[in-house]
Amino acid sequence: MTTTSPAKRRLENYLPPEGVPIMFDLASLGTRLGAQIVDVLITFGGVFVVILLVVWSGLLAGSALVTLFLLLVFFVRIPYYIFSELVWNGRTLGKRITKIRVISTDGRRLTPHQITARNLMKEIEVFTPITTLIGASAMTGLEQTVLILWVLLVLIIPFTNRRRQRLGDMIAGTVVVDQPKTTLLPDLATAPLASSRGYEFHPEHLEIYGRFELQTLETILRSPPKGPEERKRVHDIARTIIGKIGYHEKVPQNQEWEFLVDFYRYQREYLESRQLFGDARENKFHADKTDDA
Amino acid sequence: MTDPAQTPDNVSDPIRSARFRQEREPGWRRLEDLITRAEKGGVHGFSYQEALELSSLYRQAMNSLSVARAISMDKALLTYLDRLCARAYLVVYAPQESVRGALTRLFTQSIPQAVRRSGLALFIGFLAMLLGGFTGYALFQQDPSWYFTFVPAELADGRTPEASADYLRSTLYDTSVRSGEGLGVFASFLFSHNTQIAILIFALGVFAMLPSFVLTFYNGVLLGAFSATFIDAGLGYDVLGWLSIHGVTELSAICVACAGGAKLGLAVLMPGNRTRRAALHHNGRDAVKLMILAGLMLIVAALVEGFLRQLVQSTEWRLAIGWGLGLMWLAWLMLAGREGAAR
Repeated sequence: MTTTSPAKRRLENYLPPEGVPIMFDLASLGTRLGAQIVDVLITFGGVFVVILLVVWSGLLAGSALVTLFLLLVFFVRIPYYIFSELVWNGRTLGKRITKIRVISTDGRRLTPHQITARNLMKEIEVFTPITTLIGASAMTGLEQTVLILWVLLVLIIPFTNRRRQRLGDMIAGTVVVDQPKTTLLPDLATAPLASSRGYEFHPEHLEIYGRFELQTLETILRSPPKGPEERKRVHDIARTIIGKIGYHEKVPQNQEWEFLVDFYRYQREYLESRQLFGDARENKFHADKTDDA
Repeated sequence: MTDPAQTPDNVSDPIRSARFRQEREPGWRRLEDLITRAEKGGVHGFSYQEALELSSLYRQAMNSLSVARAISMDKALLTYLDRLCARAYLVVYAPQESVRGALTRLFTQSIPQAVRRSGLALFIGFLAMLLGGFTGYALFQQDPSWYFTFVPAELADGRTPEASADYLRSTLYDTSVRSGEGLGVFASFLFSHNTQIAILIFALGVFAMLPSFVLTFYNGVLLGAFSATFIDAGLGYDVLGWLSIHGVTELSAICVACAGGAKLGLAVLMPGNRTRRAALHHNGRDAVKLMILAGLMLIVAALVEGFLRQLVQSTEWRLAIGWGLGLMWLAWLMLAGREGAAR
């Protein structure tokens, strides 16, 4: 149902129940590791505080302390991940700090089952083998090799699939994404008229370009030139466009920015109205495409 | 392309997509405020009106996004709406269950129902253990030296075929063995040991079930050889009691963990009409519940093994407690969660 584009590592066409596809950025593995480290510090830190309190009160000592530690780790760690992701909708404290979260791949809300499954699998995938490796001294070389291989295999899996899922994510049907951020930039088409005279464009001027070029121009127009180098770039762009569309009027060099702003508005209105008539122009090659078809 | 270009007359009459945005922008801003509040403190602090507003603004934003994709080429707007909808989606479709509700449902419905759905996997789990037990017993009867092949020295703890019946009897009833450590420590040691085995058995099931089966089988062999030692020494009844008090629960837990592994293995071996990944996902639902059940049973077993086995010395009582516990597990798993329609 969902597809991913390998270049940008996005989860595209994510389909919420409303049926309008939206997009999520997949969390990078580095960020996930960071969140995991914070979580490990939190859980182990909590256990250490308890252990220190017990040592200080002198209730237990020696091997009993070690056992208490192992037991606490087990009974603090598993509930911590499951309950924090349940309460904060797919975010542990570490994930909150690094601004990532778990979502369900099927477009529905995260179920308790999914959260439990992915976190129990984390236990199986990573924590148990590693603590076994550290804790158990009486292990044969073969057992150690198998465990190390297993951990390596598990750690490689997120690198090998497009959605960067680990084994637990696959079984639970979840994926880790960046928390989306919203910024609404001003609409360039409603900015106060740039030039006093206002450039006029005819249909033949607007036939050339498509959506891609328009949106590239939009990106350029969002940062007005400051240095001489940037002004030179704007000059080049304006001259290229004037040449390409065969603009009939003279555009003085100090009017080029205003010309581009006006051109953006006309071009956008033209393309949008073409799109409403069912003539979507992806880029400047739209004419070749319709000829071929 | 005979269509004339629509020329904007002046700025006070903006183009269609800009008008679209101007009309709806206040609603999006309001939604953003509500989302920001919900992300910080959850929706529990919302009044009824605000909650209603959130859901209606969310649907409006989704609608705007859908329309904007058709009529607007403003990249900034499209990106903003996409992100806004994603954020709002995450707030609106947050898990609605409380932790307590989820736990209650897990124990009263989900686990028993998962167990009743997993007949074949459970059969495989218990079969592995039983076959292992018989094999261990039979091999021991053939040649007691097999015992040393199966049972690691540290586990045997002197309980070998050569040991005298008196010594064997003492291991079953003596309380002084563990007196140095305290029963609680012993119990927690048993728990972490058994949990590791159970986790291993469960996780390896994904490799076509075979490793789970082999490990459980091996556990059975150990059990068979171990019992055979005692039976040969004429302590069959006593060892039954000694094993039963915790073993009914503990060995069942191992079998349940194996069944969880088998559930995963069955998905890999026989995915049916699904893809293997989809089958794994589907069977994973029950497998995880079986694993939780196994963990729970191991906790109980460790408590019983650590405390009760040392405190209760009569074989009759040991049998009664062990099998009584087993019956309680069975009753819970067979009877609970029946009235609701199975999901």
